Amino acid sequence: MAADTATFDLIEQAGERVLAVKGDWTVDTIRALDERLRELAERIGPGAAVDVTALGALDVAGAYLIDRTVRGGSPCGNLETPIDLRGDHHAAERLLAAARRSAQPCETAPARRLGIMELAETVGRGIDHVGRETVLTLSFFGQTMATMASVLARPSRIRWTSVVAVMELAGLNALPIIVTLSFFIGIVVAYLGARTLQDFGATVFTVELVGIAVMREFAVVITAVLLAGRTDSAFTAEIGAMKMRQEIDAMRVMGLDPMETLVAPRVIAMLVMTPLLTFAAVMAGLLGGVVACATYLDVSPAMFFARIQENVPAQHFWVGMVKAPAFAVVLAVVGCRHGLSVGDDVASLGKRVTTSVVHAIFLIILLDALFALWFLEIDL
Amino acid sequence: MSAPSSSELAIRVRGLRTQFGDRVVHENLDLDVRAGEVLAVIGPSGCGKSVLLRQIVGLEHPAAGTVELFGRAERAIGDSARRIGVMFQDGALFSTLTLKENVEVPLKEHTDLSPALISELADLKLVMAGLTAETHHLRPGQISGGMRKRAALARALALDPELLMLDEPTAGLDPVTAGRFDQLIGELASSLKLTVFLVTHDLDTLFETADRIAVVYGGKIAVIGTIDEVIASSVPWVQDYFRGPRGRSAAAAHAEAR
Repeated sequence: MAADTATFDLIEQAGERVLAVKGDWTVDTIRALDERLRELAERIGPGAAVDVTALGALDVAGAYLIDRTVRGGSPCGNLETPIDLRGDHHAAERLLAAARRSAQPCETAPARRLGIMELAETVGRGIDHVGRETVLTLSFFGQTMATMASVLARPSRIRWTSVVAVMELAGLNALPIIVTLSFFIGIVVAYLGARTLQDFGATVFTVELVGIAVMREFAVVITAVLLAGRTDSAFTAEIGAMKMRQEIDAMRVMGLDPMETLVAPRVIAMLVMTPLLTFAAVMAGLLGGVVACATYLDVSPAMFFARIQENVPAQHFWVGMVKAPAFAVVLAVVGCRHGLSVGDDVASLGKRVTTSVVHAIFLIILLDALFALWFLEIDL
Repeated sequence: MSAPSSSELAIRVRGLRTQFGDRVVHENLDLDVRAGEVLAVIGPSGCGKSVLLRQIVGLEHPAAGTVELFGRAERAIGDSARRIGVMFQDGALFSTLTLKENVEVPLKEHTDLSPALISELADLKLVMAGLTAETHHLRPGQISGGMRKRAALARALALDPELLMLDEPTAGLDPVTAGRFDQLIGELASSLKLTVFLVTHDLDTLFETADRIAVVYGGKIAVIGTIDEVIASSVPWVQDYFRGPRGRSAAAAHAEAR
């Protein structure tokens, strides 16, 4: 459908101004007219008559532009200016009236504030927000512990189906990725150790390095960080979607406590699975060390394990494992807490999932540092 | 009554067949929507009214049959985006954008107008749909269901479409708000000379806005015509629909208003 170019002329005759509009005035054709009409209207002011004899197609956008010109070029105001039409057009009167009905009186624009003030306000709000979030997370942690205590006191209240389902989805299904990554970390630590210790002629201590590093730190932290990315985000998204669709409200009115039905099974499942996954990660990391030592240092697997048994006391293993349940609680609590805080729009779901993962990883690293200090204090 | 030529038809559906697995929803369904009319589609739940709407706008493809819009067969969705405005049941407003930004989306995408004019047109369309200036900067999550429907209508009208498709425009609204919304659709349809295709369950909407009614029943258009013609038909579901207590009270209220 080829559109006729939209044009206009201002005709001054017998002391009055007539705006003669020609061609098709639709949302596709009025691009070129906008600025020129604005300038024209500012020059002549409101009150021009409109000649629509040569007007082709017209839509609301075109009608708005004509009406705005008649009103003096401003998007608002001058609502009383009469629309003085000359000539016949099948739609002009109807559409101009529709455009006029939807025009608004002008409002005074709110005064712009200083940029520096806005910056200060944003920073203040941010700090206040962090404070509030911390308090809410701590209070949710307390609530979770109270629920766990009441559930464990009456084990018949534990939803085993849900516990086992979460164990499979969030725990067992994460096994391949955790084992693979831990294996590679073992190799990397062994290579780095061998390269550095070579300078001192002490390459044989690579075995101890791999053993201690993997058991104490890497296995458990890698497991927790991966679970934060994989499982904690899934908890937030699942529960958040339920919240958005009012499923949580439905549970509440049926007398089901979401803390008991959603949060407790996830905490229990994570408490069981995180240590098991950490153990698998330890084994895979050591296997990575064995492979690296065998290929790079000619330390046979038998010798590797003999050195581990002799020189790496079991306390290192337990130092790693003891952190796993603590990380498990962090993952479950942070995931569920942000899921339950989702509002009723999609944007808040996305924001909560992001926050959840960031907070979980932050807390895991922080806790790990606190554990390191504590173990240092008690000489473990 | 002679059959209208295809140039006067906004929508022409021929031999439509819809199938989900083994379940046949539409079988050899024909439907004509004349340019400039308000056609309401009714039918029992699950009869495929909304699917029909989705097939007409091109969101879904029928197993067989053709859909022509303004005498042109649809090839891909978006071909006719300029000429069709669609309002979904829950509004489907983009929740990260303000109401005004929602209306600006199609204008920015499909026209080369200046940002200032786009902003002015978006305000105009929102006011036209009955939303005052102080609401234009709110997000969909901050407003009521009725206002969301109005904003969705403003977005559907952003590009001055010839054909407006409405899926359950009054579902979930209280009767007063629903009545105002019916009125608004009627006013806009006549002042902008729109062709309106609306799917509804609401009897008041039928009496208030529809020029013609099509009943989808048994996989076909069981009956199509003015409200009196439809009520006079012998299709059992139609009888239940209009002769039920709700149907009688809506008809009585409308007769009184006339």
